[in-house]
Amino acid sequence: MAYTKAKIKDLLDGKIDRDTLHTMLSTPKDKERFQVYLELLQEQVKWDDQIILPLGPKLYIVQRKLDKKWMIRSQAGYDFCEWDQNWKLHARIRVRDTAAQMEELYPRLMAPSPEWQVIREYFCPLSGDLLDVEAPTPWYPVIHDFEPDIEAFYKDWLGMPVPERA
Amino acid sequence: MPLEKQTGRRRVQVLGIDAGGTMTDTFFVDSEGEFVVGKAQSTPQNEALGLIASSKEGLEHWGLMLEDALSEIQTGVYSGTAMLNRVVQRKGLRTGLIVNAGMEDFHRMGRAAQAYLGFAYEDRIHLNTHYYDDPLVPRHLTRGVMERIDMSGDVVIPLREETARQAARDLIAQDVEGIVISLLHSYRNPAHERRVRDIVEEEVRGAGRTIPVFASTDYYPVRKETHRTNTTILEAFAAEPSRQTLQKITTAFKENGSKFDFRVMATHGGTISWKAKELARTIVSGPIGGVIGAKYLGEVLGYSNIACSDIGGTSFDVALITQNELTIRNDPDMARLLLSLPLVAMDSVGAGAGSFIRLDPYTKAIKLGPDSAGYRVGVCWAESGIATVTVSDCHIILGYLNPDNFLGGQVKLSRERAWNAMKEQIADPLGLSVEDAAAGVIELLDSDLRDYLRSMISGKGSTPGNFVCFSYGGAGPVHTYGYTEGLGFEDVIVPAWAAGFSAFGCAAADFEYRYDKSLDINIATDASGDLKAVQAQTLQSAWQELKERVLEEFEINGYSSDRVTLQPGFRMQYRGQLNDLEIESPIMEAHGAEDWNKLVDAFNDTYGRVYAASARSPELGYSVTGAIMRGMVPIPKPKIPKDELQGESPPNSAKLGTRKFYRHKKWVDAQLYKMEALLPGNRITGPAVIESDATTFVVPGGFETWLDGHRLFHLKEV
Repeated sequence: MAYTKAKIKDLLDGKIDRDTLHTMLSTPKDKERFQVYLELLQEQVKWDDQIILPLGPKLYIVQRKLDKKWMIRSQAGYDFCEWDQNWKLHARIRVRDTAAQMEELYPRLMAPSPEWQVIREYFCPLSGDLLDVEAPTPWYPVIHDFEPDIEAFYKDWLGMPVPERA
Repeated sequence: MPLEKQTGRRRVQVLGIDAGGTMTDTFFVDSEGEFVVGKAQSTPQNEALGLIASSKEGLEHWGLMLEDALSEIQTGVYSGTAMLNRVVQRKGLRTGLIVNAGMEDFHRMGRAAQAYLGFAYEDRIHLNTHYYDDPLVPRHLTRGVMERIDMSGDVVIPLREETARQAARDLIAQDVEGIVISLLHSYRNPAHERRVRDIVEEEVRGAGRTIPVFASTDYYPVRKETHRTNTTILEAFAAEPSRQTLQKITTAFKENGSKFDFRVMATHGGTISWKAKELARTIVSGPIGGVIGAKYLGEVLGYSNIACSDIGGTSFDVALITQNELTIRNDPDMARLLLSLPLVAMDSVGAGAGSFIRLDPYTKAIKLGPDSAGYRVGVCWAESGIATVTVSDCHIILGYLNPDNFLGGQVKLSRERAWNAMKEQIADPLGLSVEDAAAGVIELLDSDLRDYLRSMISGKGSTPGNFVCFSYGGAGPVHTYGYTEGLGFEDVIVPAWAAGFSAFGCAAADFEYRYDKSLDINIATDASGDLKAVQAQTLQSAWQELKERVLEEFEINGYSSDRVTLQPGFRMQYRGQLNDLEIESPIMEAHGAEDWNKLVDAFNDTYGRVYAASARSPELGYSVTGAIMRGMVPIPKPKIPKDELQGESPPNSAKLGTRKFYRHKKWVDAQLYKMEALLPGNRITGPAVIESDATTFVVPGGFETWLDGHRLFHLKEV
């Protein structure tokens, strides 16, 4: 079943009606969905480098126009690193590791003890958008969430040509 | 045509209404027991419109004007969605809730099951589809009072009355339109809850307001907090507005000349007045009507074990009647809420004539439903806006249905549209011819339904050979052969008024109120006479309490207590077992050990009949889990027709020509008959299609059907 672009936009904006959402969730995904989705994302950003894969809210893998390199880029246009690296290492980071900082978020006694768990917030250096949060033990390395197999996804799953990569 | 209609002499007496999600059916019965079915598409925005349209359509068959017929009708029963729609859309009154202090969040937390109630199985295990509705009463309109009664009914913390006063004042200050009180274990010991109720009423009066107060113990004194609270909230939240909807329907009919007061089909299988105190139980009614109708027919004609099957546009509903008894469930769910209502047990699968057909893009497997086109039929109806093919489209393609006579021609269907859509969406991707793809869909649906029916009956420890299968609903008779084939039912019966069977059942239902109360009686088999007498008295005092409520309901409708027939009942189980049985009490009152023994005997008898004599386990002792009181007053019911049998060959006037009909990879010419023109005693051998305005009865090759004197078709394999 195909959905209109407006419906997919509602989905993206979190405004979709319950019934359509339920049908979407419980039926196989419509074939053209990913492309429509990419088009909508592309309309929401100010730059025109091609989005290859969304990584999270306001975070994308794009094909950089000038050199065809695949880069991880924020909505505001900051290029963190190449697509297969850990972008968090290039972000602005705030670590909440004191009780006082935790209590900015949680009521007293309902926050984790900072000796056991810290909260790391990753921001876009250009816009200050909060792009990701992780809550590991204090000594744990910065987590590399995801290294997508874009080639297999495009070729084998979507049946689309893989975008060129330098 | 007008010559056939002897309008002068016909006196219409009973009107049954089934306003379903897809179709609104009306069923008129005259003084001779003759009946006619009216059908129109439902109008959920204003139900009265569909009702009037359906009535006009039905009465037209008799050549009657609506006004003339309505003025003669003595009794009318409504079953429909007035209450359900309101609850589904959560459009109710601003309600306040008083619970135990410390328990204020339990209503909004709800029960996890409420996140997926009513979902198809594949969605239930697909967590992403689950969601929680907003609570009926928001947190800021909930207050706690300090008190506690334990599960044995003992006071653990006395009621702190000032907390109840404060709670009442807070809620009154927030302009609530109703206040519900539901305290822990109040079904066991109602003292605190009643006291809180009185305090709240005092405060309401003191504030110079009129706000109705609903204590759970006055309505649903049954265990399970969420169920009891939800159900009592529905009374405050939705009953009053629904009462207005029902009143609107009554008024719409009164404006057209009716003189009777509508009764409403209720979940327990009886009908109640729209003025009733407990109106939440009218929340579901349509499918119950059919079961009541089957039970009534069974009682009159001597069928005691009946498998009731109903296919409508959206679902397949099955209920079993064993030894003329229905099964009643105590905690059904409706509109994604767990409730405490006695409900005629029925199982549903989301597969009906309107079910969508899709191909799984990866496995190419055909998937039916779970969603459906409902009243919009399918692609074959151009105005429907439906783009996905449905089961009805297959019927049109294969010649099962007449595209020009759907609902007596009210809706024109296009075979070409159905054909093209089927080809593009299903047949071509599968590399099949269109007719093979459509036939495959029908076979798949039939075998799904057949398996379901078989498993339900074997789940009861029985076999289809012990049951007569009744098949009804608008689309039931189209599939009857398919879902009964090979199961070996004792008999398969399609009433000639299949499409209006639920409405017929509504008309056949008693005017009956029923109240329930939870009890916790536990007693060993060899208990002393004294102990038995104590238990008998516990039951008796519950009966007394419920009896007063039943009589009160009838009094609202102007029936004095001497006109009411009371029937006490109870739910009993062997101690330690999980399921109880509902038993009609053989005695009107229970006082001593003798009486107790009679109750136990009645239970053992029923247990042996429902399961097997050898499965009885009296050595475990007995538990009584609930007391029941039903009260009935006599009302006119439809007569079952009894006509003289004629010859076996149908009259020529019944023959409507032939239509191409596809089954088992062949096109054949099916003889078409007009259902109304067939005579009792006629025998028809397939392939044949018997058409009526409101339903179509398919008799494929290898089957034959015989019309008996009660206008029931008997279908059998030859």
